[in-house]
Amino acid sequence: MSEKLYALLLRLYPSHFREEYGREALQLFHDRARDERGFFPRVRLWLDLLFDLTISLPREYLHIPSPSVAASAPQRLNGLPAFYFLQNESPRPSALLLGGIFSLVALTTCWVSLNQVHSAANSGASQFAAARNERESGRTESAQTTPRAAASSAAPALTQAGAMDPAERKHILAGTIANLKEHYIDRGAAQRMADALAMHEKHGDYNAVTDRAAFAALLTQQMREINPDRHLTLDYFQDPLPWHPVAQTPEVVTQYREAMKRQNCAFEKIELLPRNIGYLKLNSFPDPEVCRVAAMAAMTYVNHADAIIFDLRDNGGGNPEMVQFIGAYLFDHPEYWYNPRENTTEQSWTRSPVPGNNLADKPVFVLTSARTFSGAEQFCYDLKMLKRATIVGETTGGAAHSGVWHRIDAHFGMGIPEAKAINPYSSTDWAEIGVEPDVKVEAANALDLALKLARTKPKEK
Amino acid sequence: MPKRKLDPLPSSAFQILLALVGEDLHGYGIMRQVAEQTDGRMRLGPGTLYSSIRVLLEEGFIEELDSREDDRLGDERRRYYRLASAGRKLACSEAERLADLLRVARAKKILRGRYV
Repeated sequence: MSEKLYALLLRLYPSHFREEYGREALQLFHDRARDERGFFPRVRLWLDLLFDLTISLPREYLHIPSPSVAASAPQRLNGLPAFYFLQNESPRPSALLLGGIFSLVALTTCWVSLNQVHSAANSGASQFAAARNERESGRTESAQTTPRAAASSAAPALTQAGAMDPAERKHILAGTIANLKEHYIDRGAAQRMADALAMHEKHGDYNAVTDRAAFAALLTQQMREINPDRHLTLDYFQDPLPWHPVAQTPEVVTQYREAMKRQNCAFEKIELLPRNIGYLKLNSFPDPEVCRVAAMAAMTYVNHADAIIFDLRDNGGGNPEMVQFIGAYLFDHPEYWYNPRENTTEQSWTRSPVPGNNLADKPVFVLTSARTFSGAEQFCYDLKMLKRATIVGETTGGAAHSGVWHRIDAHFGMGIPEAKAINPYSSTDWAEIGVEPDVKVEAANALDLALKLARTKPKEK
Repeated sequence: MPKRKLDPLPSSAFQILLALVGEDLHGYGIMRQVAEQTDGRMRLGPGTLYSSIRVLLEEGFIEELDSREDDRLGDERRRYYRLASAGRKLACSEAERLADLLRVARAKKILRGRYV
């Protein structure tokens, strides 16, 4: 047995040593094992061998067998590079097999870890993309509420190590209660909601819940039973949430600028259609710091149109300041511009009239789809409430994103409203219900219908 | 010009040269002889022993003899080694170097008690 073990250890030596002295080394071990019997001599033998191994192994690997060097040395010519062979023989099949297996393991490990990094970067990037979109001089709606929240919370929990256990439920519940108490705008309501959640836990209402998305939905529902606030949510995300909001490094800003330049600041089309109808297909409301000039140029291009169509069917939202900036062209006096994320300030009024603008009294049509989200819905909602536009298309997505985002752990987070914006039009905004169009039609047919309406509609105001 | 492998002479190589003075030995014989001449302080393991033997062979300080059996250790054939004349000279000069060191040590009176 011990001889076999030593034979295995001998395989650690380079092949040139094994070939030359492997048999002798094994013989020496055999001789010593035969002569040194008993517990202590045997322990001493193994200590000797291990010590010998640590001393002689590095030396053997550093040793270049002289015949090979001698054989390759004559190949050296004046001024020409020469190659020395450290090992002449080809590797054994077992060594090749072992090497192959190790390489596979190493490659798989690399691949898996790269994927991890990639997915982390992606979740960061997607959050950034939306956050950057909707970023607003330090106040962003989507840095506060991540855009995937609604979708993910409805999606089944597929991953994350099986079902939810009691410890995880307790942890998420404690995080939810702590965040409520600390951040919710109405302290009394926060306390009542926290008490209700604690009571549900006491009654064992969560014991059967093992699905994370269902748990998030249940807690959200229970909070709203006490305090009907549709901006208050607990969301579950399959992809791990980043620790911090994506930093606005100069590189990130530069990338955003370049991306916006390539996409013409999300103005996919700026056209004057027959009968002098201005058509703007805007797929985002980009940061005015980057796109103000582009937006002004677009509005100037359609400045003399008799009617104007904003196509927001593919608009996922963006920067509230840009929403308001474009909205300003549609009024000849400052209008209160409702933003569910802001307290009432002077920022809440459009900067109308815009010098040189002719659009303040022209009919406006806004095309919507179920993919019209967030900032784009704000544009629709405010224009609809101000009775300044005809909304044509489908009911919008219903993402108001007015809560500030709080991370509970890698997969759970809460949107908590921290400011109370005054909604002059009704007690609700478009959160979760979307903006109802004035003229309901499939998104694909919205443009045709809006064009018909624009051609028949008399000039407004 | 690469440095000579046995400069300075490692003590294991010196002990092997000394072990081979007077008789031809196989690996295990050398190991036992070295243990004996060092009062058991140096027990050469197979790795150290054979890597030293190989270097001594390459440098021509010892030579390998035809394999033969050792009557006391059974019927396995073993490789025997013999001290070459260059090896003897090397062992001599190393012994003199050590003797010089010993003289210095004596002169410095750092040796206590009996010494040879």
